[in-house]
Amino acid sequence: MTNVIKNISLYLSFVKTSMKEMLIYRLDCIVGMLSQIFTELVEILFIWIVFQNTETLAGWTFEHILLLYGITLLSVGISDFCFDALYDIGPKYIRRGEFDKILLRPVHPLISIIGDSKEFTSLGYFGLGLFLVITMFIKLAIPVTFGLLLQIVFFSIIGASIIGAINTIFSISSFWTYRSNEVIWSFYRTYTFTQYPIDIYNGFIKLLITAILPFAFVAYYPTMSYLGMNSYMLYLSPVVAIVLWFIAIKVWNFALNKYRSTGN
Amino acid sequence: MAIIEVKNLVKTYKISEKQNGILGYIKHLLHPKYREQTAVNNVSFNIEEGELVGYIGENGAGKSTTIKMLTGLLTPTSGSVVVNGLVPNEKRIQNNKQIGAVFGQKTQLWWDLPVIESFRLIKKMYDIPEGEYRKNLKKFTEILQLEELLDKQVKNLSLGQKMRCEIAATFLHNPKIVYLDEPTIGLDILVKDNIRKFIKDINKEKKTTVILTTHDLKDIEEVCDRIILIDKGSIIYDGEKEKFKDIYGNKIIAEFVVKNKTKSVTLETQEEDFEVIEETENSLKIRFNHDKLTVINIVDSISKYCEILDMHVQEQGLEEILKEIYRGEIIRD
Repeated sequence: MTNVIKNISLYLSFVKTSMKEMLIYRLDCIVGMLSQIFTELVEILFIWIVFQNTETLAGWTFEHILLLYGITLLSVGISDFCFDALYDIGPKYIRRGEFDKILLRPVHPLISIIGDSKEFTSLGYFGLGLFLVITMFIKLAIPVTFGLLLQIVFFSIIGASIIGAINTIFSISSFWTYRSNEVIWSFYRTYTFTQYPIDIYNGFIKLLITAILPFAFVAYYPTMSYLGMNSYMLYLSPVVAIVLWFIAIKVWNFALNKYRSTGN
Repeated sequence: MAIIEVKNLVKTYKISEKQNGILGYIKHLLHPKYREQTAVNNVSFNIEEGELVGYIGENGAGKSTTIKMLTGLLTPTSGSVVVNGLVPNEKRIQNNKQIGAVFGQKTQLWWDLPVIESFRLIKKMYDIPEGEYRKNLKKFTEILQLEELLDKQVKNLSLGQKMRCEIAATFLHNPKIVYLDEPTIGLDILVKDNIRKFIKDINKEKKTTVILTTHDLKDIEEVCDRIILIDKGSIIYDGEKEKFKDIYGNKIIAEFVVKNKTKSVTLETQEEDFEVIEETENSLKIRFNHDKLTVINIVDSISKYCEILDMHVQEQGLEEILKEIYRGEIIRD
């Protein structure tokens, strides 16, 4: 237990350091944020066009979908913020030989790497998500109670950690290829499926996003609960997160040992 | 008990054999062929606490591979490594607490931050007690002259300044063992001296065991007590530095520009104590042992056969000594 606390406190130190480093590149940060918001607005425009032709999608209205979109962006924003450096393992750490330096620290390398994340532009996602969520709650006249607020905070963090665990699992590709960032990215993008109600998909995609890459637990099930549709799947989210992290750490340690025995 | 025990250490790499051309490339994708290459071949040695060891060898001789196995970065193919009672490969994180390492030009400092911030993080990572941290920081700042560097961003430091900070960072947590891989490469002479002095001081005070790989003979001369020489994956010398110098060192190379040569100097001076390495119509390259001869002796001998226009004298560097060893020109006793 003391070990866990020590690791968390180290992680926070690393994050603090990253923030200080980030503040040096303020302009980059702002430009990145704005461009992220812009790409998301284009996607929202696309959803709006779809809804010019139909009233509902699998029983969901335009406002429902935008709420789901906003809730997703909250988790995506947090996870990009916290786990972005996973993309760097192959192209940056291993290719440039910086991985050795991290392996020489008296800390698990994952903590060093994750703590090195400085994707502060992801705050753009988070901000837009927050805006969408607040606006849609008002439009849909859903009373925002303290309990609901707590739920949103809690399940957004859980959602982010689900994304983080999935990215961590695929980051092991870094030990075989420098272009691991593209491997992680292609699996990660699966989450965009869950920005729509999953009833519109066929069986395979449903299975993919609930059981194989369980992105549906990130925002879809929580949003259903907030909309009062169906709530019991929501409580599976933390379980999914814990199981995924358990697998992620096991798989990652296994790959690391493999890597250390072959050398590069 | 030795602080580092290495027994029959072997590391074999699998190297993929790629054929040329697109066809060869496709063939490799479908049916990859590998060949094994032994980087470290049955290496054994013990290092006692407080020793200063120079681990030297040509590029590709197996130095880095050995160091990587000692630090737990690589898993040995066979054989064993025990560092202060721990198997680094199995207890990597625990082992990391008791060691420090500098790998060439790679920095462990945070690039965008002032040096002192990196030191604070290191303090936190290694759980260095406040008192100990302050004491070390004060001392290191003094010896390595870091006073004005601590508040500067790492990226704005010169190579020499960066290496001084790097060395300080490595010793901050009072490691039992420190691995220094080419710590003085590319540095000017003042910084080199500074770093060598620091290593010696800390070793004397804290009995820190230091393993140093370098191509600079002066590093070895000034810092190390013992030399381990590795070639093609095997140890070919392991012993005191003084003895190593007796066997291999003390050679001077003199190059002469000459004219009006009357005879072949190589043939005429066969009986002499020096050796002509190269001879052309208007140049001579001669190697001799500085214990036995001086340049004046050489000039005396060869001026009988030619007119000397110019000369250039240099000590035989470690690299040349090593080259000779590899070529088999120096035979060990």
